[in-house]
Amino acid sequence: MISMNLADLIVMAVVYTNMISPTVAGKYLSYFLFFSPGITITALFAAAFMIGREINREFRRSLSHYLLSLPFSRRELAFGRVLSGGVRGMVYMAPLLATTTFVTWFFTEKLPSPLEMLLVVFALFLVSIGTSGLSITIALSTKSFEKFVTARGVIYYVLFFCSSVFYPLDFIRQLGRDGTLPQPLVFIAEINPLSSGADITRSFLLGYPSFSPLMLLNVALFAAIFVLTATFAYLKIVQE
Amino acid sequence: MFLHYKFVLILRALWFLAQIALFGLIVNRMVKEEVQVVTGGNYFYFYAAGIVVTLLYSMTVFIGYDIYEEADHGVTEYLLSLPVSRRELVLGRAIGGGLRSFLYVAPLMFVVLLLIGITDPFRILIALTALFLFAFGVAGMSITLAMSIKSHDRFDILLGVLNAFIVRLSTTMYPVAFMPPQYAAMAQFNPLTFAADIFRWGAGLEAVLLTSPFVSVFGIVVFFSVFTFLGIVFYEKRLEGGGWR
Repeated sequence: MISMNLADLIVMAVVYTNMISPTVAGKYLSYFLFFSPGITITALFAAAFMIGREINREFRRSLSHYLLSLPFSRRELAFGRVLSGGVRGMVYMAPLLATTTFVTWFFTEKLPSPLEMLLVVFALFLVSIGTSGLSITIALSTKSFEKFVTARGVIYYVLFFCSSVFYPLDFIRQLGRDGTLPQPLVFIAEINPLSSGADITRSFLLGYPSFSPLMLLNVALFAAIFVLTATFAYLKIVQE
Repeated sequence: MFLHYKFVLILRALWFLAQIALFGLIVNRMVKEEVQVVTGGNYFYFYAAGIVVTLLYSMTVFIGYDIYEEADHGVTEYLLSLPVSRRELVLGRAIGGGLRSFLYVAPLMFVVLLLIGITDPFRILIALTALFLFAFGVAGMSITLAMSIKSHDRFDILLGVLNAFIVRLSTTMYPVAFMPPQYAAMAQFNPLTFAADIFRWGAGLEAVLLTSPFVSVFGIVVFFSVFTFLGIVFYEKRLEGGGWR
């Protein structure tokens, strides 16, 4: 995963910078600078999403029986699994966020204040823990491995590609108005927590788009919904 | 064995659809006018053809994981007891791995061909034959790596790094004209570039080719021959004295 993200940054982003029209990426100075925070989010999302596969395997192989024998409550166990997925996402994302901060500072000479950086990290943590919860919810929704893989794949790729990670949200909206992109996909991109996470990071590292509390509210809601759903789903499965 | 990696197949098919229907279509609207000119008037077709080659590559490299699984489950001993020489066994593995991934990817390949429009069936036949050889070569490469690295984890990491860079440093996703010179130099000798070029030639997208069809076919044949040969050498060497254990 690290090599893939690095290859995305040092090869793909560089080549696409030469290809993308300045009218699309101009507000961000270049596509490379636009895409750098996006890579941070993709890394975080991919790492946090992995927990679902592990939990699905644990239940299929009855490894959860061992976990139940450990000296803590079921609620702690359930929340701990969601939290661990989120923390993994953060640990994996941290060096990429540092690289992105350095890259944007190098090209724009802009550096977020400690408070702004704290807000970015907090928003990314919410995205990470929400992603972990989403992944666990999918993993626990079916015992069939094939169905799980399919559902996981559909949700993963829709969230991944239908977000402002690769393309600016303004541009997605414009495609929606032109009729090039179906409105439901534009709506998904707008409410997608990956879009909000990427745009919060961009707003403090690049200064565009401007920060809106709605972005933070979006990721907070995403985290709250899926942390609770995953915790209750885990408790329910464990009790069965 | 054919449906052994059906979950990978499902995920790859979904990835392919997302790449084409979302990323490909949106990025096609984001690129400069000169990109459309360089790619023969439609970057989306260029991208779709390249993604098929990427998919074929990523499906084929999975043969390496089979080698580890066979060693873990004691299947290698059974294979050695069969009345075929070791050379035939390796050749069979490379051909089997290439054929399996080719069959996996074939439906998506035809979707892309229908999307672009089939202009010359004879060319497509040549291109598909070359891609068939490319898949054998990739299978040989994966077997060679699996045979030369004893640790499954190290193989996994190496393959991850190789996949990340070999795909991005090729012309599967973007034309060489927009690559920095260092990347373009590497892309010229990348087997994925040869495969993407020959597939685009077969699909009638001649304007975008980095190499002539003859050079592409020659490159693929060299790639196939080298890695099949290396695969045989490494496999034979590893099998001596139970080196796979």
